[in-house]
Amino acid sequence: MSVTEETGKKTKRSLTRTLWAFLSSLKLLVVLLLLLAALSIAGTIIEQGLPLQQYYRYYKPLTVEIFNRLGLFDMYHSWWFVSCLVLLAVNLIACTISRYKGILAGVKKKTLVLDEHFLRSLPFKETICYDLPPEKIRDAALGIVSRRFTGKHTETVTADGTRHLFFEKARYSRLSFFLTHLSILIIFLGGIIGSFFGYRGYVNLLEGDTLQRLQTRSGKIRALDFQVKCNAFDVEFYNTGEPKDYRSDLSVIKDGREVIRKTIRVNDPLTFEGITFFQSSYGALPEKATIEAINNDGSLRGTAIAFFGERTAVSGIPDAVEPADYQEHFVLPNGMDAGPALGVNIYPPEGRARGVWLLQNYPRYDRMRGGDYFFRVKNIVVREYTGLQVSKDPGEFLVWTGSIMLILGIMMAFFISHRQLWVSIKATAEGKSELTIAGKANRNRDTYKREIDAIIRLMKEIVR
Amino acid sequence: MSNSLLFNACTLVYFLAMVLYIAYVSFRTQRVGRLASWTLFAGFVIETAALGLRWYESYEMGIGRIPLTNLYESLVFFAWTVAIIYILLERKFRLRIMGAFVSPFPFIIMAYASLTSKEIRPLIPALQSNWLTYHVITCFIGYAAFAVSFGLSILYLMKVRSEQNPGRNPGGFWGFIPDSVTLDEVSYKTIAIGFPLLTIGIVTGAFWANVAWGSYWSWDPKETWSLIVWFIYAAYLHARITRGWMGKKAAVLSIVGFAATLFCYLGVNLILAGLHSYGSS
Ligand code: HEM
Repeated sequence: MSVTEETGKKTKRSLTRTLWAFLSSLKLLVVLLLLLAALSIAGTIIEQGLPLQQYYRYYKPLTVEIFNRLGLFDMYHSWWFVSCLVLLAVNLIACTISRYKGILAGVKKKTLVLDEHFLRSLPFKETICYDLPPEKIRDAALGIVSRRFTGKHTETVTADGTRHLFFEKARYSRLSFFLTHLSILIIFLGGIIGSFFGYRGYVNLLEGDTLQRLQTRSGKIRALDFQVKCNAFDVEFYNTGEPKDYRSDLSVIKDGREVIRKTIRVNDPLTFEGITFFQSSYGALPEKATIEAINNDGSLRGTAIAFFGERTAVSGIPDAVEPADYQEHFVLPNGMDAGPALGVNIYPPEGRARGVWLLQNYPRYDRMRGGDYFFRVKNIVVREYTGLQVSKDPGEFLVWTGSIMLILGIMMAFFISHRQLWVSIKATAEGKSELTIAGKANRNRDTYKREIDAIIRLMKEIVR
Repeated sequence: MSNSLLFNACTLVYFLAMVLYIAYVSFRTQRVGRLASWTLFAGFVIETAALGLRWYESYEMGIGRIPLTNLYESLVFFAWTVAIIYILLERKFRLRIMGAFVSPFPFIIMAYASLTSKEIRPLIPALQSNWLTYHVITCFIGYAAFAVSFGLSILYLMKVRSEQNPGRNPGGFWGFIPDSVTLDEVSYKTIAIGFPLLTIGIVTGAFWANVAWGSYWSWDPKETWSLIVWFIYAAYLHARITRGWMGKKAAVLSIVGFAATLFCYLGVNLILAGLHSYGSS
């Protein structure tokens, strides 16, 4: 092997090592977290996910062009934002790999004997001398400590006859590191699975109709392996006119048989075979209505019963009409609620069709259009529909599992610590002994110190 | 409505508490200090009664819901949480002097709340969920903890500066303030309360969104800002683990974190649009 080859290998190794140190560093994490925070702000200022044309209303064409190139209109899916998240995941994995041995060693390692050398490394310690034999002191000390450190203690007697008592609490709280940090990876994984294998869509389902397929948000048509029938829909209002509760009575039909029947409401969806149906909105479509042509003197000129979306001739006049839209609460330009309104397209024998609104409660409303006759509407028959959000998310379970792990992990990290306590007792002369007490905790040290101080105070009172 | 009367009384008492705490810092007589603490506690008790009364009155009106569902109620609850967290910290750490920096919060928040609509309105169906209650309570205790930590961090930065010029009037005001190490420690402890609660708040919010709208995360501005706040405090916690970032830099992060918290709570509603109900009220 030549010299250059060898140094080449060395630099390669040290390069890998530097890269690893970088990827597993806390510095990278702090920078990434602050970077993600800063980047996310942009997405809350620029409205996300609108159709591109709409942005031209808010920004100059050049700005739209640049922002679009940078992915700022869908920035949470842009390559740079996703790269930051990927780097965060790599950081987490690297950090976990580089620390897991140390953490497991911390869980496994038990020092049972409090010797001089070990004592020096401990933060809290105290030595007390007694005019009592070691056996008495041992029993008394055990009594004091056992009240605070419930569970088994370990007793070791070394060659010089010194007794060492070892107590501890919450050893496994050291594992909170894994709970906290792996949970983030699990949540990420759940999110990724959801976005690759899940879908979301929205449908309006008329009362009595059955749903078999739907269009997802990404524009694909999905066929369901079963059918969902809307048996009935119902709304309840407060006396202020705001909706209080709305609900759909749904049946899931599989292979021609009803398998589930459930009334869903907002905050109470129905799930079947991993697909969930959420009550999202509601509305009504006109089925048919009576449309009348009225002379300006108020006498009836002609009449028609028109069905939704069908062009219908009206007796006595040349125009045809077509119900095309419906509003339960039509709002006049002055803000007044004018009640039910039918949107109608009027087709003259020649020339362009025009759309008008006919108000059921204001029969003369169309008169302001002018002409020698006008239209009014009666007997609007509507069919209510329920608006359902449909979603399938196979990653959801992982997201909630990760979330629970995260919460438990954080609570454990902050509020539980691994506390260890050593008491050693040796005979110094006939009927005399010396007790050394020392302790260590992996966090919340000041609280632990207070606990130990209380124990030491009791120990000092043994003499009496 | 009688709950408004009680809330007004409470605002006044919080104002008194603030004045007393400031007087205590200026004159440093124990009597005034004790009076300040008791006044703040009295404000807290009155506010608790007011919240209870408002809850009861909503039932009288046939609406029956926990008073946590619009901007006014959330502000009032926020003030309540800041007060109780501070009262507990003061007892535990015996740092009455912090009061001058924290006690203005309940008063300012209540005064601001009095400018918003106090009406008890019925809940739209999406808000009729127990998850709303868990979500709001956890988020707001988190926010309140961050507010307290913010006050402490400012105090910390000022104290550090005075420690660097020890010669200047040693018996004066700054000598009276706990040392900077303690302030840093208490500030960290408050964030250690706030961070898990914010985490629970975000998770319960996501869970509720999933039940109500069929999507646990949709990057709406409110959600995103809560995540921004979470990122900042996560950075704070890890920055403290690496040695060099204790103290000053950590204090700055805690101040930035609270600025983001305020924006998440109020800025998003006032400046940005979103799904959240507080926006319209
Ligand atoms: C978004 C991702 C992360 C979250 C939410 C998170 C959360 C936490 C929490 C809550 C703690 C306890 C804090 C404390 O004791 O003061 C902690 C501790 C810690 N974290 Fe993270 N962390 C994340 C990523 C990372 C990464 C990528 C690394 C490595 C570079 C890391 C390294 C550590 C270390 C070394 C500790 C101290 C552990 C101990 O003393 O037991 N964390 N983390």
